Amino acid sequence: MSGLLTLGQLSPEKVREEIIHTFEAGQHAYVHLSLLGIDISITKAVAFLWIGAAVTFLLMFVGSRMLKNRPGAYQVIVEEIYGFGRNSLAGQMGEEGRKFFPYTLTLFVFLLVLNLIGLIPNSYPVTSSITFTLGLALLTFFITQFVGIQRNGLGGYVKAFVPPGLPLKIVFVPFMFFIEWISELSKPLTLAMRLYANILAGHLLIFIFLSFILYFGTYMAVISVPMALVLYAFEIFVAVLQAYIFAILTQVYIEIALFRQEH
Amino acid sequence: MLDETGIFDLISTSLLFWEMITFAILLVLVAYFVYPPIRDQIQKRQAEIEGAIDEAQKTREEARELLTEYRRQIEEARGEGRRILEDARKQADAQRERTKKEAREEGDRIVQRARDEIGRERESAIRDVRREVAGMVIQASEQVLGRTVDHDEHERLVAQALDDLEAEVAGASTGSGSRTA
Repeated sequence: MSGLLTLGQLSPEKVREEIIHTFEAGQHAYVHLSLLGIDISITKAVAFLWIGAAVTFLLMFVGSRMLKNRPGAYQVIVEEIYGFGRNSLAGQMGEEGRKFFPYTLTLFVFLLVLNLIGLIPNSYPVTSSITFTLGLALLTFFITQFVGIQRNGLGGYVKAFVPPGLPLKIVFVPFMFFIEWISELSKPLTLAMRLYANILAGHLLIFIFLSFILYFGTYMAVISVPMALVLYAFEIFVAVLQAYIFAILTQVYIEIALFRQEH
Repeated sequence: MLDETGIFDLISTSLLFWEMITFAILLVLVAYFVYPPIRDQIQKRQAEIEGAIDEAQKTREEARELLTEYRRQIEEARGEGRRILEDARKQADAQRERTKKEAREEGDRIVQRARDEIGRERESAIRDVRREVAGMVIQASEQVLGRTVDHDEHERLVAQALDDLEAEVAGASTGSGSRTA
């Protein structure tokens, strides 16, 4: 009992350290590696990234190896995920956008698995790292620009950033071009920030509610634990939602670039 | 590292590096080993379902044709049955009429024969009775008169008396509608 009571004697600095520890642990390198002077160590974050990728692949792969004409429950789930990617994620603006669904659907499942794995105690929430989300968002950005230029031609693609029929062309054309490009550049940023902030904030909230016990004492658990549980459940919802938002926005951005001239 | 807490690990080169490699590998693996079989399976099932629907439509079409054909046949059979029944009824009626007519004729013939027979019998009976009566009257007259009477004359008288009697009887019986006449 006296041991439990001492929980309330931690200083704010110590509590902060306890909370941040989870995220610091992500930087802990198991194997130190370097490529051309760039640090590519295998950290806990990288390890959980691999676990997430492996789980994603296995979930889908196992489902694709046990296909029967009369599907079981697991096959129905796998086929539904495939159908969701092909029919719900892709084809937002045109049939041509459908060919990108393997990318967005993989992204969706991968992010979902990483989000959910991050909720397991002592794991590392990879999607709460801005490096990770910005990496995927930039990948999307480059794909977007590439397919946009490929389909519309460089001139057509750049011209399409300025809406037709502007008055005072000498002023408004550069202005609109500038505005549109800010909007274009903000897309990967918002994409990355949204996922990162949601997952990080969710985890921090859970930790903060639980840290009340460390700060105020054991009796705080009566409030902290139920609140943390509620937030935890909410985080599961957020995990699915954010994965979906990231994936569908990725698809929409790609399709906007594809059909830049038509819109 | 810009941020030692790790929350804002803006430039975690190791994570970025491995993320790109891992995601690329994952994408390739999934695109080659996962999506094609699922797509094929879905397409296969779709084709099967479409085939089944086409088959069902064809079968239904056939069934409808068969049903029409059967209905037509049943209608024909019914008509044929009616016709046969009608013929049979007509034949039966004709047969009945013929039989009835024959029976009537036969009956009439029998009656006529009986009548003729009766008439003949009566004639013969009357003749016998007359002869008997005449004999008896002559005999009685001989005994009463004690002598032989002229037989022929006598017989004539008796016959006349009998004729008279007969006429009387006939006159009486016509009032009651006798069939012996």
